[in-house]
Amino acid sequence: MVGNAGENSKKATRIYIAVAILLIIPFIAYVLLPTYDRISPKVAGISFFYWYQTLWLAISGVLFGIAAYMLNRLKEES
Amino acid sequence: MNYDSLIVFIVLFVVFAIVGFLSSRFRRGNGTKLNEWSLAGRKLGAYLAWFLVGGDLYTAYTFIAVPSAEYAKGSIYMFATPYVMATFAVALITMTTLWKMSRKNNYFTGVDFVKDKYKSTTLAILIALTGIVAELPYIALQIVGMKAVLQVLFAPFLHVTATATAVDDIALIVSFAVLAAFTFWSGLRGAALTAVMKDGIILSSVIVVVIAVPLTISGGFHHAFQLATTMGSAKAVYPTLSPKLTNAYISLFVLSALALYLYPHAINGVLGSKNVKAVRFSTAMLPIYGLGLFLLTIFGVLVFAVPAALHTIGYVSPANLGNGSLVVPALIAATMPQWFVGYAFLGIFIGGLVPAAIMAISQANLLTRNIIAEFRKDLTEKTEANIARWASVGFIFLALAFVFLIPPTYAISLQLLGGILITQTLPPIFVGMYTKFLDKNALIAGWIAGIGTGVYFVEAANNFGSPTNSLMSTPFGLLYVAAVALFINLVVVFIWSLAANTFKRSPSEEPQKA
Repeated sequence: MVGNAGENSKKATRIYIAVAILLIIPFIAYVLLPTYDRISPKVAGISFFYWYQTLWLAISGVLFGIAAYMLNRLKEES
Repeated sequence: MNYDSLIVFIVLFVVFAIVGFLSSRFRRGNGTKLNEWSLAGRKLGAYLAWFLVGGDLYTAYTFIAVPSAEYAKGSIYMFATPYVMATFAVALITMTTLWKMSRKNNYFTGVDFVKDKYKSTTLAILIALTGIVAELPYIALQIVGMKAVLQVLFAPFLHVTATATAVDDIALIVSFAVLAAFTFWSGLRGAALTAVMKDGIILSSVIVVVIAVPLTISGGFHHAFQLATTMGSAKAVYPTLSPKLTNAYISLFVLSALALYLYPHAINGVLGSKNVKAVRFSTAMLPIYGLGLFLLTIFGVLVFAVPAALHTIGYVSPANLGNGSLVVPALIAATMPQWFVGYAFLGIFIGGLVPAAIMAISQANLLTRNIIAEFRKDLTEKTEANIARWASVGFIFLALAFVFLIPPTYAISLQLLGGILITQTLPPIFVGMYTKFLDKNALIAGWIAGIGTGVYFVEAANNFGSPTNSLMSTPFGLLYVAAVALFINLVVVFIWSLAANTFKRSPSEEPQKA
């Protein structure tokens, strides 16, 4: 699956590592519940617990988008 | 009397049915092949795949269940938000792998992979049955959600309860007949194109309601949260999560995320995509789609600030919150103009129909490819496609019958059990994709251990009654039962495989079954 020449395969490995990091970041954010299980600061009357998690959903979308873009540029499936 | 809501609802339903039938022409192929009917000829691009898979997130059931759970049980149901994130992180890895293998080896279902990898008919049939069984209450719950919408839609026009129930039932049967007909006719194409219409209506209504409702109530969200704390269930916490529930929260979102892409309908949508880039791109964009799910969750809190909606739900006191499944329909009916009510209700209503179609197609696929074909090796492609079409009709009406025969609370319990069951198919599918280490008998043993302990623990957590609670006490605090059962399953699979691999070196290698 990985590229043919050694150079390509090295590049592919770097991309896989970067993708793994991008995917893990949101998990770390969400698992650290005590960091966001509180009321203030509120936004529009909504407690921190709610809006912080929602913000992370949007961030996850961006991170996953970058990950997908990086993987799509790898010429593994042609 | 103002009939706007009813007129808009009916007109849009007719449009929906037309789209469903005409979509059979979309990127048309040879309709007599199963591939064409059940996977839309594997021709769905990133956008359609996005809608199709996203369509499973925004179902009538989610619309009803998430806000009603937030309403009755509080902030723990905010786990729906990290769940969306985790689901698509898992999918980004596993589904691209599965898609590539499927294209190469012509797999139609996750079970096709299991069969090909382990060469075990027993294991394949067990996994196929788990999928079919777990899917059934899922469809049934869509119908429960649709009934909640009909109930509020018809309430202003029909004052006699008995007549109202009859009208609800007739409306349901008619709409399911339409659904069965276009599923039979258009297959996954019908589901994908109607999913676009459904999501357009649903997303626009959610956004409008979330902006409009806080503006109409004095004090906005701040006020709603205060009211929730005083008027809501005494056991529930609304603004934050009780620290006792930290591990429960994490296990719920992680395990539910692992489960979604084990459901046959989710895999079905992915395998219908035309290339791996479409799978990847659509999956990566899905968390954005999930933002709406957060908005829905918050409906369960907002409703406390709208007395007319609380009246429809039948709120009495913190000890008697009424029928929570009416939260969303009641909130929309109480705050929005009539025509919009018809529009939004239709969105939720077809939000039950579209996933029901996808689920029935995927069940039909499993039944045809992985069960019937095991016993009848001589099926032609054409016969296979015909069996699958009729089976999808059968499954749709089976789920409908289920709803008429079983009370809604039972359907929810069964869905809860279904989630625990489907999680037990993780080792052969997700783990198996990345390693050759697993032994087929070990996987069967693990499956038995996981299903057995899962059912036992969930029953024990509910004092051996009808399950309503999926958390159990463990040394790590409250945990989602599926997490514990999956752990036991994996331990069995690992130890058994280790033993099997150690002894396999001997020349008496088992002959492989065909």
